[in-house]
Amino acid sequence: MKIGNVGAFSLALVLAALPAVVLAAGNAENGKKIVETKSLGNCVACHVIPNMEFPGDVGPDLVQSMQGFTEKDRGTVWQWVWDARVFDPDTIMPPFGPNKFMTKKDVDDVVEYLYSFKKNK
Amino acid sequence: MSKFIVRIMILPACALFVFSACAVRTPSAGGKASAPVITEYTPNISTQEYEKRYQAVYGKFTEQMAAEGNPADFVVDDGKDLFSKVQGSAGKSCASCHGANGEKLKGVAAMYPKYDPAIKGIDTVALQINRCRKDHMGAPELKYESDPQLALELYVKSLSNGVPIHVSIDGPAKPFYEAGKEYYYKRFGQFNFSCALCHVKYAGHMIRANLLSNNRHHTDHFPTYRLDWSGVGSLQKRFRGCNKNVRQEPLPFQSETYRNLELYLTYQGNGVPIQVPGFRM
Ligand code: HEC
Ligand code: HEC
Repeated sequence: MKIGNVGAFSLALVLAALPAVVLAAGNAENGKKIVETKSLGNCVACHVIPNMEFPGDVGPDLVQSMQGFTEKDRGTVWQWVWDARVFDPDTIMPPFGPNKFMTKKDVDDVVEYLYSFKKNK
Repeated sequence: MSKFIVRIMILPACALFVFSACAVRTPSAGGKASAPVITEYTPNISTQEYEKRYQAVYGKFTEQMAAEGNPADFVVDDGKDLFSKVQGSAGKSCASCHGANGEKLKGVAAMYPKYDPAIKGIDTVALQINRCRKDHMGAPELKYESDPQLALELYVKSLSNGVPIHVSIDGPAKPFYEAGKEYYYKRFGQFNFSCALCHVKYAGHMIRANLLSNNRHHTDHFPTYRLDWSGVGSLQKRFRGCNKNVRQEPLPFQSETYRNLELYLTYQGNGVPIQVPGFRM
């Protein structure tokens, strides 16, 4: 398997693409729906999300995680949701973008919703 | 240092990591295609911690089921009846060869799955029962997962209750074990999950309201009663269930890959006593 090369290659692509995605503004309400719905993002299967019962604990608490991201990090957060393999090649997070769970617009919306978790915006 | 800067610093490190951290790699030494090298995961919580979590999530349920009894005990009785029933052109029953109460099969199931030179592959209890029927009894093979098939398998396994699993992966079994491991660690399906990711690396974590089970105890209790099935099912039915849950293509019962997988997984439970029928949610 040549995962290694592909990973490094897409990393380069991502770095080139960051400024473009940083500017996108999403619809937080649609993002919330994706994050909470089993057949869509189902992020709550693995992450703590506000006001959702029985969240999983496979991934970090996203309310806490979001406190550490600044406005400048929107591109990074976007990439985590689109394809987390760039940060951790052995991640359990499904590649939501490449495997066609979500469109780019959907990811914009999810990121918008995630930013609403920030306590001191 | 802000989190953003930390991340930027991590990125180049990740690029290096990409070359070393993948669970499944194929060495390209000599330019020839060869078996992938699999780096097995270390679970990210200890066995003790896992057991504490299991108790917290399922403790009440296991107490209740112990008090109420296992509905699958009746299936074991059906299996015992079938065991001594004459079927097929040779005029024999299983008991004709293996003893009226299956005494010659005590402890035998604890060594399954195992390599069998006759099929040049891995033999399971289910497969062996059908081969006995066909070759020694002249009786039709039983459809996998049918009531009589499960009943016979369950009865034969129950003759090894309390005996620690001790399957061998030496000699000719080794490549089949490796193939089972390869499937267990392979990422596929829309979610890009592998069995090992959930059942080794994250075993003991909660995926929504489900506890990710630890694979050391995946094979000791099958065939098991399962509330969700309202009935008895085999280990391979569970494989198919997990495949479907994570949107992977399930494979046919007793296919070569599932038999290899069964060998791999059963070996992970070596030393654990067989306890059938199990009882699960
Ligand atoms: C099957 C488990 C799983 C699912 C489903 C999942 N994640 Fe994750 N996520 C993780 C894990 C584990 C990590 C930790 C980093 C890693 O991959 O090793 C993570 C990390 C993250 C991070 C980075 C957090 C940080 O502190 O750096 C973000 C952001 C994130 N996930 C968002 C999401 C969103 C949004 C969804 C749904 C659209 C989602 N995740 C679905 C398992 C999951
Ligand atoms: C995304 C996570 C996930 C993946 C991937 C996954 N499983 Fe599971 N598996 C579970 C959960 C959760 C349970 C237990 C809860 C339940 O019964 O649904 C389970 C239960 C099982 C059991 C039954 C355990 C018992 O105690 O009876 C077996 C056996 C099993 N899985 C094998 C596999 C195999 C083999 C694969 C790969 C083909 C696989 N799993 C892939 C989540 C997963």
